[in-house]
Amino acid sequence: MSDVRPDEEAVRDAAPNETSAEADAGAVDEGDADDVPPHRARSRSGRYDSDRRQGTPYTESQVIMPTVKIVAPFAFTYGLFITFHGAGSPGGGFQGGAIMAAVVFMIAFAFGIEATRDWLANTVVVALAVGGALAFAGIGLIPVARGGAFLQYDLLPIPVKYGLESVEVFGIATIVTGVLMGLFFLLARGFASEGTGFGEGGGDESEEDATDETGTAANDADGVGGDLGPSGSDRTPAADGGER
Amino acid sequence: MTGTSLLAAAAGNLLPTVTPAAPVPAQVTAVEGSLLAFVVLTALATALARDVLAAVIVFGAYSLGMAALYTFYRAPDVALTEAAISAGVTTVLLLLTLAKTTRIDHDVAFESVNVPAVGAVGLLFGGLLLTMGDVPAVGSPDAPVWSNPDVTQWYLSESYAQTGVDNTVMAVLAAFRGFDTFGEAVVVFAGGIAALIVLHREVFA
Repeated sequence: MSDVRPDEEAVRDAAPNETSAEADAGAVDEGDADDVPPHRARSRSGRYDSDRRQGTPYTESQVIMPTVKIVAPFAFTYGLFITFHGAGSPGGGFQGGAIMAAVVFMIAFAFGIEATRDWLANTVVVALAVGGALAFAGIGLIPVARGGAFLQYDLLPIPVKYGLESVEVFGIATIVTGVLMGLFFLLARGFASEGTGFGEGGGDESEEDATDETGTAANDADGVGGDLGPSGSDRTPAADGGER
Repeated sequence: MTGTSLLAAAAGNLLPTVTPAAPVPAQVTAVEGSLLAFVVLTALATALARDVLAAVIVFGAYSLGMAALYTFYRAPDVALTEAAISAGVTTVLLLLTLAKTTRIDHDVAFESVNVPAVGAVGLLFGGLLLTMGDVPAVGSPDAPVWSNPDVTQWYLSESYAQTGVDNTVMAVLAAFRGFDTFGEAVVVFAGGIAALIVLHREVFA
């Protein structure tokens, strides 16, 4: 949440840029509209609204942030309940883990994906996913070590019910939470394009933080002044980040 | 699934019941009927929406409708999974992916219908409809999936005695089919690793 300030500045910088880009695009539309039927003019003009919608970095919303602040503890508790109470009521590790991961998604959408990424370090995500897989395998292998079959719960030193519960809680829920959070952060960051000749190239991935948004917005503000064409055409959408 | 349930429920009235037990009336309540209509409409809208973003959002609504429908058919475990994974997580991940792509402004809301494709789907649908006569009514106590003494009834009577767990679904998943569940968990884990590889990343966060 510490990098909220630069994001806000980026939004303010980008705001005039948006309007001028739209004006440019509108001018191009009118120019192209001569030789095409009117009902196809807009779709053939090649105007993408990705600049307008997806170029906007993370924005502080006075509605979303308090809502998430209020809802998140309850949703997380519900996820924990679904996970831990799966033996007595509908649910289990898979559903509860997904709900807990969804709480992290909510927080990321409210307070910025980059801030959430910094808060939940890679080690947390990896520890959850790998630890869950190891815990499940370990719980399954303890009975094998005692001369039984894989996941033979009555050979565990705890009652059978708690054996099932520990598989659900320490195995499935942690794997699902970790992997879903990892997928979220991965997809938010996108394809690492250096060295493949694909995408924009360049761009050190370790420094694609909130400063990147400010930099992109500043570059665009420079470019719009000189260019007549649609300012977004030379900018790959992947560089803009998914924050909004 | 939805068409199946509706028609099976309707067939409960038409078909003579085999056993002298009380015939199961087709009870398509207003809530159920509107949910079914909602699910069918959102599914059609998902298939026909021209804008990908609109399709993703409508698909989330479809999943929410399916979750409500599963709750209505007393499959709360499936409903929870559908609501959390399909309506929640999948929609968010698809939206994130869309944010990385270029979205084209469309003037028309829906795709034009491809007639041969609709014909093929209609043929398949008609063929499936022919099997509806043999499907038991929804909630019928004579349905094989319920009255089967070797599988369903055995699990229902034995799962608590053997595992001490009230939730039979969890008992089956974690104990009776525990090795399968271990495989599924490893598949989820491998999915995360595969995403790392595909996106050329070495760290998640």
